[in-house]
Amino acid sequence: MPRWLSLVDGPQTLGRGPAFWFVLGVIVLVAALLPTFVNAFAITNLTYFLVWVFMALGLSLIWGYAGILSFGQTAFFGLAGYTYGVISINLGDAGLWTWFALLLSLVLPAMLAILVGYFMFYGGVRDVFVGIVTLSITLVFETFMAQTAGPEWTIGSARLNGFNGMSNMPPLTFPWGENPIIFDGTSLFWLVLALVVLVYVGLRILVNSRFGNVLVAIRENPERAEMLGYNVRLYQLFVFVIGSVLAGLSGVLYTLWGSYITPSSMGLTAAALPIIWVAAGGRKDITATLFATVLLTWLSQQLAVKGSQYALIWMGVILLVVVLFAPEGLFVTVWKKLRDGRRMRQRATAPKTVSLPSA
Amino acid sequence: MRWSIAHFLPHAQMTFLVEAYAFFYQLADSFAFLVLCGLGLAIIFGMMGVINLAHGEFIMCGAYVTVLSARAGLPLPFAMLCGTLAAGLVGLILEFLIIRRLYHRLFDSIVATWALSLIATQGMLIVAGPSIEGLKTPFGSFELGEYSFSVYRALLPLIALLLLGALYWLFVRTRFGIYSRATIQDADMARALGANTRRIYSQTFTLGAALAGLTGALYAPTITAVPTMGQAFIVQSFVTVVVSGADVMLGLAPSAAVLAFIQSLLAKSYGQLIGQIGLLMTVIIVVRVLPKGISGWVLQRNGGR
Amino acid sequence: MNSASPIRFARSLLAGTLAGASLLISTHALAAEPIKLGILEDQSGNFAIAVIPKIYAYQLAVDEINAKGGVLGRQLKIIHYDTQSDNTRFQEFARRQIQQDKVDVIFGAFSSASREAIRPIMDRAKQLYFYNNQYEGGVCDSNVFVTGAVPEQQFSTLIPWMMEKYGKKVYTIAADYNFGQISAEWVRNIVKEQGGTMVGEEFIPLSVSQFSQTIQNIQKAKPDVLVTLLVGANQASFYEQQASANLNFPMASSVNVGQAYEHKRFKAPALKDMYVTANYVEEVVSPASDDFKKRFRAKFPKVEYINQEAANAYDAIYLYKAGVEKAGSIDQAKVKAALGSGGICTDGPSGKVCIDPKSHHTSHRIYLIHVKADHSVDIPKVWDDIQPYWLGTVGCDLSKKADQSQYTPSNLPKK
Repeated sequence: MPRWLSLVDGPQTLGRGPAFWFVLGVIVLVAALLPTFVNAFAITNLTYFLVWVFMALGLSLIWGYAGILSFGQTAFFGLAGYTYGVISINLGDAGLWTWFALLLSLVLPAMLAILVGYFMFYGGVRDVFVGIVTLSITLVFETFMAQTAGPEWTIGSARLNGFNGMSNMPPLTFPWGENPIIFDGTSLFWLVLALVVLVYVGLRILVNSRFGNVLVAIRENPERAEMLGYNVRLYQLFVFVIGSVLAGLSGVLYTLWGSYITPSSMGLTAAALPIIWVAAGGRKDITATLFATVLLTWLSQQLAVKGSQYALIWMGVILLVVVLFAPEGLFVTVWKKLRDGRRMRQRATAPKTVSLPSA
Repeated sequence: MRWSIAHFLPHAQMTFLVEAYAFFYQLADSFAFLVLCGLGLAIIFGMMGVINLAHGEFIMCGAYVTVLSARAGLPLPFAMLCGTLAAGLVGLILEFLIIRRLYHRLFDSIVATWALSLIATQGMLIVAGPSIEGLKTPFGSFELGEYSFSVYRALLPLIALLLLGALYWLFVRTRFGIYSRATIQDADMARALGANTRRIYSQTFTLGAALAGLTGALYAPTITAVPTMGQAFIVQSFVTVVVSGADVMLGLAPSAAVLAFIQSLLAKSYGQLIGQIGLLMTVIIVVRVLPKGISGWVLQRNGGR
Repeated sequence: MNSASPIRFARSLLAGTLAGASLLISTHALAAEPIKLGILEDQSGNFAIAVIPKIYAYQLAVDEINAKGGVLGRQLKIIHYDTQSDNTRFQEFARRQIQQDKVDVIFGAFSSASREAIRPIMDRAKQLYFYNNQYEGGVCDSNVFVTGAVPEQQFSTLIPWMMEKYGKKVYTIAADYNFGQISAEWVRNIVKEQGGTMVGEEFIPLSVSQFSQTIQNIQKAKPDVLVTLLVGANQASFYEQQASANLNFPMASSVNVGQAYEHKRFKAPALKDMYVTANYVEEVVSPASDDFKKRFRAKFPKVEYINQEAANAYDAIYLYKAGVEKAGSIDQAKVKAALGSGGICTDGPSGKVCIDPKSHHTSHRIYLIHVKADHSVDIPKVWDDIQPYWLGTVGCDLSKKADQSQYTPSNLPKK
């Protein structure tokens, strides 16, 4: 195994070893084969849950690992969505143009993140102030985009269309002789699933590398990290850019999923949601974030389907229970309980140790 | 031509004065809104560090109780008192049940208060219906030049200033205030010195919730009470408190004044959209220029404390 | 009836008989199966206040129809999801209803944004969809039928009447998004046509709840008529604030009173001299309306106010029924063709409502609602049978040419 790949397991991530990867592999395999078992809607819906994972993983990296609470990741989400809309509507779906639009939709959030990140980290903005700056940015975007209803707000042939949102952008298309591959339905699902696996493994390697260790050092004590000779600001900037590009990726995929993007996806409620997912799952671990995001988006939809007007109340109650009884986040707490339980059992079955009164 | 100047000048001066007052009124109105939005949050978030996303729902609670008790026949001031006390009571209970478990992990307060806000908003919709009949703004209006103004709204800035003064007195001059600030700054030390820190946390949180309720009570006669009304306050609240910085007693008034001035000026000259965007841009710039907020800057200039 | 009709009739009869003979058992099973009506409406969140009566109205119409034997002998079944005033929820649930529940028709959406969020999904699936809300107009879409009133019905009546009564200087304040901007454009055009002047026009972001500056601007401009196109709970605060500042101008609106019954919720005289054109409000007194209110309140005693959109929702179900009965099938393409073929009408609580084949919008009786100082309401004027003519005159003709666009006065169809 090459050295860099061995970093998928390490001190900064929960879960390691063949058993863990076997279970994860089975989950991915089952997911990949799902389209043969379930109906089209289930696949569309699962794609929808996975679309949000990237923004959440990015936030887990920024907040959980580097200790920077950004409250406005939706700014990058929205910017990417609108960029894809404008570019793809203008250039059409011929050739590789939709992929060019996708690429540009990741480059623009990266540039915005460099700008904002430089502005904040090199300007001494920290703690809760980072949250308020990023929140302000996303709300400025939302307020501005909401009023672009008139025909004067047109870029090329793309109407921004204000609060009602922009729609009818072409899907990702790959030229393939007579029948170009259109990423829609099942093929979009596979694409998103592949990206989730790629980003997840990539992030595991990143956070277990030296870079990740430094991030955690900065989170625990920025002054000490600085004294040890690390360029704290550069690390913060870098991690902020990665997280923001991931938010952008979610934005593009969301736009592709519904062929629709709206200013309210940058509003206050939308901005708070990723924070809820990440915090409820356990912000200091990307595996926890991944599963929490899928679980919570699924749960809130299920509640809305089944619980009618009590849906939001149930959602609130569930979140309260999680936060009170799983202090490190649902998944991290459960994981540690399981691990401790196993160790305890191992110890209990070992002949020399005195067995504990409780099982 | 002397007569014409004599005739002309007073009129021009009058017009100027009226225009100036109109701008001042608008500025003060905006100032009052920001201060009152921020009051409760200044304590719960600014001092205690609890990121209270349910702040708007405390305001909603104060407004609802005010409206309902006024319609039940209570005179408005007493109805407002009821609203304030009700929000405080809710705060007390929630602190006991939930918030007190989160003081050592403040980030998780985001999730808890978000959950509370979901429950409160939707619960109010189910219990009280989508809307309740509002109140009439008291005191009527007064005229000046071509404008007429609401007396009640002209009074709100004064009430805001009064409340700020009272809070300053409470936290700087009284025993409770000093204990409270000591506890929040260093709970272990305060406990070692004999303070009942648990009770002080609870009291401080309750005070913050009651102040949010008071904001709701004061604005109840001027807006429509609906379950989602908290959303109209939440952004302004956080923005004002964050810009004011860590020492909210010192920073809240200047923070609200700066934001109100820029917002009013922009809204008057370029319309409401630019006013809104300008407010948020101001926040970004102030935070960049004064990374510790206005109070941090003031304290630094005075050589720290 | 045209000459081809009998032949087509005979042919479909033949086809029907053959199909029926070959699938006797399964047809029997199908006949027992209910017709599925998907409903996407906001039971919670910002818009719940105006939408809850709509949800009741669907239920009322469906229960009435079922009690009388259903449609084509089949019962109607509602599948409703709470969309929580959230556009993303609309998208999720539209897909769920189309792909999983396989509904035969979808009714729903309150805000224009939520309608635009699901319209691409409807169009892609060629899903028959009813939008039952007053709105800014201009949706020319083969798959969409609209039962709400549109600007040519509300403003072409309201604005000239107001200018005649109060004067020609008009000031508009409008919510700063698609609905407000497009409606303001309509007002501006009509004021100009009628030889009046716009003394001010102001757009207000949806998050604004404090109106001191706007009130001052209006006082400075001294209009004869103030047109208020404000939307949502935040902006509704304007009325109490303008009353407490003693603004005292006659107001005109297309959204207030008829949707969120501000005259019931606000203390008098916040809405004094507000004039609204609506195709229904609870205060309409007529045998049809009184009967409707009686049935409504008997079934849903909790309802706070029976608003315009409740009447639109109620009519939509009956229009769908008429379409299915004309088509003789619930096949969506056939029902759409039948609905768009002309002569599809229902006698609802507000009067006779018919679908215009060109635009898929409906004709309405328009009531001019005047809110008095004590917030009681009188109706100084009624316009009968106002057609949704505008789309037809600018070149939208869905009976001849399929389309899926939304047009505005400054964004007309390409000729």
